[in-house]
Amino acid sequence: MTALLTLPAAGEFEMADINYVAIAPMIVVFAAAVLGVLVEAFAPRRLRYPIQVGLAVLALVIAFAALVLPDADSVTGTTVAGTLAVDGPSRFLSGVLLALGLVGLLVMAERFGGEGPDAFTPMGAATPGSAIESAAARAGLATTEVFPLALFSLGGMMMFTSANDLLSMFVALEVLSLPLYILTGLARRRRLLSQEAALKYFLLGAFSSAFFLFGAGLIYGYAGSIRIPAIGEAAAASSGDLEPLLLPGVAMLLVGLLFKVGAVPFHSWTPDVYQGAPSPVTGFMAACTKIAAFGALLRLVYVGLESTRWEWRPGVVVIAALTMIVGAVLSVTQTDIKRLLAYSSVAHAGFILVGLLAFDITAVGGVMFYLVAYGASTIAAFALVNMVRENGAEATHLSQWAGLGRRHPWVAAAMTLLLLAFAGIPLTSGFTAKVAAFMPAVAHGGLSGVLLVVIGVLASAVTAFVYVKVIVLMYFTAPSGDVGLAQPALLSVVAIAVGVVLTVLLGVVPGPLLDLAAQSSTFVR
Amino acid sequence: MNPYIPLGILLALGFGFALLSVGTSLVVGPARANVAKAQAYECGIQPTPQAPEGGRFPVKYYLTAMLFVIFDIEALFLYPFAVAFDQLGLFTLMAVVLFLLNSFFVADAYVWRRGGFEWD
Amino acid sequence: MLSLIVFLPLAVAVVVAAVPSLGAAAARWAWVAVSAVELVLVGVLWAGYEDPGPNGLAFEEQVPWIPGVGSSYHVGVDGLSLPLVAMTAVVFLACAVYALRDGERPRAQTALFLFLQGVSLGVFVAADLIVFFVFFDLSIVGMYFVIAGWGHGNAARSALKFFLYTFLGSLALLLGFIGLYVASDPHTFDILELVAATPLEDNPLAGGLVLAAILVGLAVKTPTVPFHTWLPPAHTDAPATGSAVLAGVLLKMGTYGFVRIAMPILPEAWRGWAWVIVVVGIVSVLYGAFVALAQTNLKRMIAYTSVNHMGYIILALGAVGLIAGDTAQARSVAVTGAVVQMVSHGLITAALFLLAGVMRTRAGTYDMGAYGGLATPAPRFAALFAIAAFASLGLPGLSGFIAEFQIFAGSIAVAPVTAIALPGILITAALFLLALQRVFTGPTQGQSPGFADLHGRELWSVGPLLALSLLIGVLPQVLLGVIEPASAALVDLVGR
Repeated sequence: MTALLTLPAAGEFEMADINYVAIAPMIVVFAAAVLGVLVEAFAPRRLRYPIQVGLAVLALVIAFAALVLPDADSVTGTTVAGTLAVDGPSRFLSGVLLALGLVGLLVMAERFGGEGPDAFTPMGAATPGSAIESAAARAGLATTEVFPLALFSLGGMMMFTSANDLLSMFVALEVLSLPLYILTGLARRRRLLSQEAALKYFLLGAFSSAFFLFGAGLIYGYAGSIRIPAIGEAAAASSGDLEPLLLPGVAMLLVGLLFKVGAVPFHSWTPDVYQGAPSPVTGFMAACTKIAAFGALLRLVYVGLESTRWEWRPGVVVIAALTMIVGAVLSVTQTDIKRLLAYSSVAHAGFILVGLLAFDITAVGGVMFYLVAYGASTIAAFALVNMVRENGAEATHLSQWAGLGRRHPWVAAAMTLLLLAFAGIPLTSGFTAKVAAFMPAVAHGGLSGVLLVVIGVLASAVTAFVYVKVIVLMYFTAPSGDVGLAQPALLSVVAIAVGVVLTVLLGVVPGPLLDLAAQSSTFVR
Repeated sequence: MNPYIPLGILLALGFGFALLSVGTSLVVGPARANVAKAQAYECGIQPTPQAPEGGRFPVKYYLTAMLFVIFDIEALFLYPFAVAFDQLGLFTLMAVVLFLLNSFFVADAYVWRRGGFEWD
Repeated sequence: MLSLIVFLPLAVAVVVAAVPSLGAAAARWAWVAVSAVELVLVGVLWAGYEDPGPNGLAFEEQVPWIPGVGSSYHVGVDGLSLPLVAMTAVVFLACAVYALRDGERPRAQTALFLFLQGVSLGVFVAADLIVFFVFFDLSIVGMYFVIAGWGHGNAARSALKFFLYTFLGSLALLLGFIGLYVASDPHTFDILELVAATPLEDNPLAGGLVLAAILVGLAVKTPTVPFHTWLPPAHTDAPATGSAVLAGVLLKMGTYGFVRIAMPILPEAWRGWAWVIVVVGIVSVLYGAFVALAQTNLKRMIAYTSVNHMGYIILALGAVGLIAGDTAQARSVAVTGAVVQMVSHGLITAALFLLAGVMRTRAGTYDMGAYGGLATPAPRFAALFAIAAFASLGLPGLSGFIAEFQIFAGSIAVAPVTAIALPGILITAALFLLALQRVFTGPTQGQSPGFADLHGRELWSVGPLLALSLLIGVLPQVLLGVIEPASAALVDLVGR
């Protein structure tokens, strides 16, 4: 045995250099997720929930510590044979993902004091409405698998922001997506809607993954490498022979990524999935997936495709414009708060794209700031949606929100603040974020950048109309029905408080985070 | 020569073969329909429960299929490892052990404890 | 000092909003008390004010805010803003007194109005584009809730129209600000630095576009033709205090933006566009006057006269951009007239809207045809309304005359063609006299019999506004002494 073990590693095989310190946060999150699966297998039923929550929280805290404690210089660089890049953007976004992921997990862990009414079905495998399902509910079963699933997804997201070659990017994409598909289908109420959403999300997600993979293949053919920096170098040094491969490849890669951020015309899953998924999952998904996907998109286009941007940028400019317009206009007609927030997230994706297309280092910081601001507000908003109930079920129809300001002033006040932030009213994070994203577009985006900003401005006026309508509904319309709050909701309140405080703080004193984002906007190549 | 010409020829051949085989079987093959052929399986198992319109797959098959995929992936990764084992050294051995622990032990432990191996 | 003036109402607003146990009376009196304190503070400010010189600010405060983008919390006043700050404090105090007995949701109303007062003052003292924009936008949000929450008639719809128009306008403004920021080197949002640097001077196209964005943003708020369509419904359906603040204070943010931002920072572009601005001003004057003449709804009529009065300001400011020969003195007079008009219009229109509010609380209608001979049952009401109307139509001895005289004296000297707008004054005079005749003279009929006359709080809210208008009309030097140095400085800046 020893003979086998001491076999030399000499010869053609070259060991990958792995900077364990640099990837420690990811390792911690994945390890905790695997441990979580074992907990599901072996821990007694009653203990699973506390163990899972404790494990997940602990893992995220440790991962965050592992992320911020090491000296930046010692971890910056590519690692694992160049497949992962640990640099300013990836560390910044990983930190944001961990922090917002923690908030999202708190909302998922919300049980409103009892054993029953958490957001997740007691038994995912039971047919909706069947005897088995009600038996499971009576027995007080719970789907505590959501915690390891969320951790897997979060790990995938962190990897997505760091992925430095197309293959690891694809793997990360799948690792982050598959748990989300499952989480989407686990709603306690309106399970058929939830399962339909999960299936749609899965099918369309698989479709877009296939696009990504095909694009990666074509780009490999073009550049002779799947490393993103190598693609950039190949494109810069290109003689033009393989040019026909480039554009289809880039287009397909972008389809895969734009699907994840929910850009028009790849947005059609967004409203259905946001509505069908349990609200805590929706919040987590809306905030964290967007962060991860834009992180990957930033790296791909700024490192790999920047030198060829004149060939593909016009197409994405059109997509950004469409995304803003369609998201804003369709949000006007929505009658369901979750669908409304879904279309608003589409519009926000468009705003972020405007910043991204500026192709300047200040745009990287602006986009990252936007992601933080939007993510924090979104998680809190969906946590609020999760609390507002009628007869135990979520009251998501807008008419059920009428008069909320009179019955539950604090909830309405928090929601108002968040909606104003989405609208981009000054002194909220939304305003600072819009300025941060639009400023580089005006400065460096050329004519199309200015045009996009004009469209963005018009679109934000439309979305502001939508949000203000909801606010008026909450304050100036007489309440109807029997809408109340699920209580006590300690964890939700903590999560909402974090979101609200961040929303105000990033609006009033955005300086520190803007600076941090600006300092962390250099990609390693 | 344009590098796309062979690609185009291949594409045309692919489509042509597909059309040819389907078309030929339509024209030449005997068409004798019966009940068994219209069913979901043609391997002899009666779909259960027998629903009025042809029946559904029992969900257990999917479980089995997924378990198979787990083993399949392990096998997939073990082959290249085994081929280059003598060059890879201790580190890679540990990596493969960790991989097997994860995918084999953890996943199967979960399935086992949750009753995934019980047919009924 | 300035920060105290801005943030005191905001802080009290937060407290009032956060303490549910606060009674109605306590909330009302808290509002009056805070507004009174504000007025005293502004008085102290006025007493201690010394002209800071060209492109300088008195009572300047600067604290780093977002250093990464060159924005700081920078406030200060000069001869252009101090009169508006004072006018704002007065109008809000009048509204506080007027609302002492309003019934609906007093706590929320108090909080909202204190919030509005804080942000309005913030706009007028801001010396940083982002700070300006923040307060500018927040004022829209606050006013939206005032109209939607306390309005009558089709309030929700009018409020939404107001919000959409002005919010869109504010976004155009933001676009312009970003343009200024991008063009400046080093990048900054500081107004004084931008004035000193005049970015975009060498780039007429970009300068024109940025100015266009800023102009649209401010024109919507002012409002000028053709961006005025939100104004009449908003005023018609807003509560009396809301209308008073909207017309008295919020409209001034648009015109103030011209003199504070557009003119000194983009002098080149302003001169290039001056004729367009003059034409827009003339059209606003005439259009506003004619449409006002056709109104039967008193409040709509007053609203359209606002379009007319704001048109004078635009006209004067446009004329300032027409550099011709040795007219610096005349242009300075035009600027002074414009600033006096802002103050005067704020006082007079606030008074008119509060009086219109009295009509609604008594009789439930603004329709002038529903009244007649109102002077008999309500002599005090009639007297005050007549004074306000005369002030508004520019009767000598009242503030409107000082303003309009200077505007035309300055503008016509620069560009004689601006005399086209003179009939505007005639038409306003005609329409106010017509209104007075329809409502107050003749036999007492319709809603007039039993119309209770003004009582304490109404008298004490409207009276001081008109007294101030009279004071300015009789002793203009108090006000002009503050404004004139700043006007001369502004004319120099535009002439660069």
